[in-house]
Amino acid sequence: MSRIGVFICHCGENIGRTVDCEAVTEALKDHPGVAFTEDYKYMCSDPGQQLVKKAIEDNDLTGVVVAACSPHMHEKTFRRACDQAGLNKYMCEMANIREHCSWIHEDRGEATEKAVDITRTIVEKVKHNQPLESIHIPVTKRALVIGGGIAGIQAALDIADGGHEVVLVEKEASIGGHMSQLSETFPTLDCSQCILTPRMVEAYQHPNIKLHTWSEVEKVDGYIGNFTVKIRKKARSVNEDLCNGCGDCQEACPAKRIPSEFEAGLGNRTAIYVPFPQAVPNIPVLDRQNCTLFKGRRKGLAKDACGKCKEACLKDAIDYDAEDTFIEEEIGAIVVATGFQLYSIGREQPEGLKGYGEYGYGEVPDVIDGLQFERLASASGPTAGAILRPSDGKEPKTVVFVHCVGSRDSEKGISYCSKICCMYNAKHAMLYKHKVHDGRAVAFYMDIRAAGKGYDEFSRRAIEEDGAEYIRGRVSRIFRDGDVVKVWGYDTLSQEQVVIDADMVVLATAMRPQDGVRELAQKLSVSTDEHGFINEAHPKLRPVETNTAGVFVAGACQAPRDIPDAVAMASATGAKVLSLFSADELEREPAVAIVNENTCIGCMNCAKVCAYGAIEQREICTVDGHVCGHVAYVNPGVCQGCGTCQAVCLSKSVELQTFTDEQIFSEINALCYWE
Amino acid sequence: MSEVREVARKLLTDGTVRVIVGWEDARRGARPVFVTDPADTERLIFDTRCVHNLVTYLNPRRDNVAELGKIGLVVKGCDAKAVAGLLREAQLTRDDVVLIGVRCGGVLEEAELPKAASLSPENVAPRCYGCDNREPELVDHLLGESQPEPPRPVMTIDERVAALDAQPLEERWAFWTEQFSKCVRCYACRQVCPLCVCERCVAEKSRPQWIEAPPHPRGNLSWNITRALHLAGRCVDCGECERFCPVGIPLSLVNRKLQHIVAERYGYTVSDDPESPAPIGDYRLDDKQEFIK
Repeated sequence: MSRIGVFICHCGENIGRTVDCEAVTEALKDHPGVAFTEDYKYMCSDPGQQLVKKAIEDNDLTGVVVAACSPHMHEKTFRRACDQAGLNKYMCEMANIREHCSWIHEDRGEATEKAVDITRTIVEKVKHNQPLESIHIPVTKRALVIGGGIAGIQAALDIADGGHEVVLVEKEASIGGHMSQLSETFPTLDCSQCILTPRMVEAYQHPNIKLHTWSEVEKVDGYIGNFTVKIRKKARSVNEDLCNGCGDCQEACPAKRIPSEFEAGLGNRTAIYVPFPQAVPNIPVLDRQNCTLFKGRRKGLAKDACGKCKEACLKDAIDYDAEDTFIEEEIGAIVVATGFQLYSIGREQPEGLKGYGEYGYGEVPDVIDGLQFERLASASGPTAGAILRPSDGKEPKTVVFVHCVGSRDSEKGISYCSKICCMYNAKHAMLYKHKVHDGRAVAFYMDIRAAGKGYDEFSRRAIEEDGAEYIRGRVSRIFRDGDVVKVWGYDTLSQEQVVIDADMVVLATAMRPQDGVRELAQKLSVSTDEHGFINEAHPKLRPVETNTAGVFVAGACQAPRDIPDAVAMASATGAKVLSLFSADELEREPAVAIVNENTCIGCMNCAKVCAYGAIEQREICTVDGHVCGHVAYVNPGVCQGCGTCQAVCLSKSVELQTFTDEQIFSEINALCYWE
Repeated sequence: MSEVREVARKLLTDGTVRVIVGWEDARRGARPVFVTDPADTERLIFDTRCVHNLVTYLNPRRDNVAELGKIGLVVKGCDAKAVAGLLREAQLTRDDVVLIGVRCGGVLEEAELPKAASLSPENVAPRCYGCDNREPELVDHLLGESQPEPPRPVMTIDERVAALDAQPLEERWAFWTEQFSKCVRCYACRQVCPLCVCERCVAEKSRPQWIEAPPHPRGNLSWNITRALHLAGRCVDCGECERFCPVGIPLSLVNRKLQHIVAERYGYTVSDDPESPAPIGDYRLDDKQEFIK
């Protein structure tokens, strides 16, 4: 006979406000199999835990139900307490009467009834719990960092400095990410390249960092401490070992008018190119889409139409027949740092976003986005740092900056604040005024959000010292009128229409997650929010972890982040990874699937749907060793306990320990029985 | 059907197979036959009365059939889909069986007739209408002449499903409650199904007992819904469950409805290609997941 202790927590006011905890205690007191009940203000506190421990010892309890918060929150806490009191920790379960009950209901009577039902179902479950042992698995002390922007570089450096190998994968030809495109950085106006490029070189030369640029993660198998990652090294057409980065190939390339991604379309590059002079590694890639030779091959020309770069290369490093190659890496922890992209100002909009037709969909050449302005202001940019407008190369005398283009506009598909725009607009206004002394900088803003060390002072400086004009209001229309760009807006403070004849307009477009992040998230089994940002495990207490153990998240792929945030997050993931690597073995919960070999028919549907590759076919033999069939076998070290196999098993031969059919059935019955 | 007899005789004589499973003409009409002696191949027939899905004898847990040795099986298109189903779920390897395929122009609703009848809207098995596999590809031998399409039955299964779908929820519920209340839990539907191959059926599981055993309405509902769901994306529409049901539950309507849902949700239609992954044994990055909020 079960002797179960039921402990009801008020969680301060969190539960007690809506649920009558004494009534729940009273209702459970005479429930069959319940030997002890008690309620307490904060069960997770030290006195609360002592109460649980004492009750186990005094009443010889065989199981414990803590009716409190989500198991995500405190299951570990109470299981540890049970373990200390000598009760197998897997005999302890949480009944979630907070997130599932008190937080979402208002009526005290009904909420109390529901809390009783929830607690009863878990009591019935615990009656079928079995004492289990934790699983111990080895850890591969090697990390994978996906994305070589500032966040990825920082995470890789921290882990590598901690003494562990890091594989850094970057999909572009160079590491550096968006930060390498920036001119100067707020709030100190130090040069972005000057602070970033040394880090890039450090990452490249670090003995513990293995860098794969022009590469993408193809497939991820395994689980925390034991991932196998397949990396696609896209055909670079340049042998990385032979190339010495002399640049002769770029000189020779006849296709010179391809819009440069690094210059945000404001400059040109060749078909074989290094994205920017400070690129790391300084090895070009051949853009086959725009290459004359490959264009010819696609047309089916018998003879190659070009070959100038190969002729120019003294190292014979160029290989037109190179193909994508794949490498496999054994990895223990993964940091996702795939960064962001900007909301497009063009006509083409991804699904769910409406774009800004009223701003001319970016068809007015002198309407540019923030990143393009960065390139104009950058000493290494297409204008060598002179602010010249794209249409005619003249110096603009009036520049309008528009905040919140895309951001905070759920009508257009994005409800969130992109966080960095207020600051970079102030910076842009400042940089502009520093370079064009007689120029006029006008900013249309909704609110100025400058929370951060030195941030508000910085944006005040743009207004007070550099004379940027800030107009609180939105812009309704932007269009070309002869030589000028007409900006129609509304000043909500003076309640007047504003029309400005601008020479150039800079749109502070929203930050969005990179394309392909959803696919990557699926490969990693992590979730994304409705915008495609990767979800953290807990917004406050686990901000750099994801719901998949061993996968961490840093930088703007999780939410809009500025550089200090991204770097702080990256270092946090570094600390998480290093603490994971500090032990040789990991302890895992025994929530794994078990196959009943007596009833399994070996249809192997479970193996086909297992996202972790944990299931294999195993032959079974008769007593005299004669093979008589096959069944499924679940490798407990690999199984993550997701239960998908259990769901597809028609013969009901797979069960998840800690969620067996009998446990779930008893829970359902508990709801039906005591009506 | 001299071609079938000839191939069967050859397979038995040269020892390729030890038994041919096909149809014969018996006192009450067409019925399955197991031929082990080449001389007996003369008994084999194939005509519109050959409605049985003989793939049910390939169930690896039917020991007495397996003991006879390697099987040569005569299959129609729908039967071949069932073989593909077994291959897909590793219940069989392709070398375990020689498939003698017959070109099929549809079969009768009823096997127990003294002689073959030509098909008409009144007597044709409704499932044959619109069949997409009248010349199976999975087979080792494809025999017979090309056949005309089966006639359109008086009311097609799709029309019957649509008529039910058009009813309000309460009426549909009443209809099925009524139908399932007739069930006597003889499990003939399961025993005859070529794809119900579990060692221990979930209906017989007792700890916990998901499906209550006695033939009362609640247990009947559990059983019939479970049976249907277990065949979603697997059912080959051979119609044997409905034909064998002693109380006349229109199981083909349930099966067909599920086929529609599977086609709509997963873009999947059951075929005789064993390499095409059935939805239950498939995991795709683009699987619909709008139900995850």
